[in-house]
Amino acid sequence: MTDIRKPVSDLTTDYDIFDPEFVKNPYPSYRQIRESQCPIAHTDRYQGSWLPTRYEDVVAIAQEFETFTSRQILVMPPAEGRNEGPYADVAAPPITSDPPDHHWHRRLILPVFAPQAVAKYEQSTRDLCNGLIDEFIDKGRADAAADYAQHIPVRVIAAMLGVPLEMEPEFTEWVRGVLENMTDNELRMKSFKNIIDFFVGQVEDRKKNPRENDLLTELINAEVEGKKVPIEYVLGVSQLMLVAGIDTTWSAIGSCMWHLAQHPEHRRQLRENPDLWPTAVEELLRVYAPVTMARIVDRDVEFQGCPMKAGDRVLMAFPAANRDPRQFENPDEVVLDRENNRHVAFGSGIHRCAGSNLARLELRVSLQTWLARIPEFELVDPASVTWAGGQVHGPRSCMVKF
Amino acid sequence: MCAIAAPEIFGSDEIGNAKVLISGEVPAALQAKARRAESNCPERAISIIE
Repeated sequence: MTDIRKPVSDLTTDYDIFDPEFVKNPYPSYRQIRESQCPIAHTDRYQGSWLPTRYEDVVAIAQEFETFTSRQILVMPPAEGRNEGPYADVAAPPITSDPPDHHWHRRLILPVFAPQAVAKYEQSTRDLCNGLIDEFIDKGRADAAADYAQHIPVRVIAAMLGVPLEMEPEFTEWVRGVLENMTDNELRMKSFKNIIDFFVGQVEDRKKNPRENDLLTELINAEVEGKKVPIEYVLGVSQLMLVAGIDTTWSAIGSCMWHLAQHPEHRRQLRENPDLWPTAVEELLRVYAPVTMARIVDRDVEFQGCPMKAGDRVLMAFPAANRDPRQFENPDEVVLDRENNRHVAFGSGIHRCAGSNLARLELRVSLQTWLARIPEFELVDPASVTWAGGQVHGPRSCMVKF
Repeated sequence: MCAIAAPEIFGSDEIGNAKVLISGEVPAALQAKARRAESNCPERAISIIE
């Protein structure tokens, strides 16, 4: 396919989140916008959006859920012509829910992601990571993104949802179709339909054969105010866990691997001082926050001097907020024991990531396991690393040798 | 986040919401951790009263 995008003339009035250079490394553009006279940029591309880049503005938008609604949360408008079939209107609760429904939409899944609940996945995640490393450790080289990071969250989430692990390639393909190739309308539609059809099948199966200790069975039987929850909720929340649980965490793990491959001093620090892990994980999440979410403006409003209209899309660039020097000293530097780190990699406010404890666990365990087995490694060729960007930022191919 | 920075002071309930585990004054030995929890809370939900 020929790239027909027109070159960006001015970042503050014409940014392009799918520009190949931006996808690869968005931070210089964020910095340029953040330090300009116009730290909330606007573009007419992809039906228009606003892009706040300062920490304070991003957090304010995340907190103001009445003005900045979650009717849509993707950085692109919905794929056209999606509304076909009985479950065409399935959303992604609670991420796409606004109050008052947001409360129960979120409440029902929170126990699954509580710290004590996710702790039970630590050993299986470690075993999974070791199994992946076994496959390539003798070869002296591996793709840290495609051979390692990519396989971890999908298998953890599949186990959590009780869906067939051998469908990993399909899950990965569908999720990438929804989140990574947003300019390809047809692929997005098809991928979303595949995911919903899959869960329709899973729900039918659980209705016939309920399982013990099974998240889907529990969701199907869940009651709110004496009534069973609608099946659209079960489908929506299941597809959200798959979509949000896979691409994001895999991107974060991949970015951290890319970082560690280039920073022997950080590998050494983590090896010599295991007490660093809790703050190191937070710091890596700050610097390599993978996710940008969108909001839809509810009513005409002036925000920091910007005339936002009802229906406008606002991109909450958490990766930009996390590198704002007004909030973080030396923001582009990785400081593994950073003292003050109010990062927003998981968002902020009522939609703050429900799976953050699981993501933290996967990130820590995957990096610890790799470093224990492969303490020294480096990029084969920095120029050959490929990236996904837009909604979710992270490496898709990252060859390392050891 | 607070439960990571100061696990002796903060924990979580059955749905993962943060809760304070101690009452009254923060013991001297834990004050540094308490401050760290305060300065790292992304929701600015913690304030230490002196």
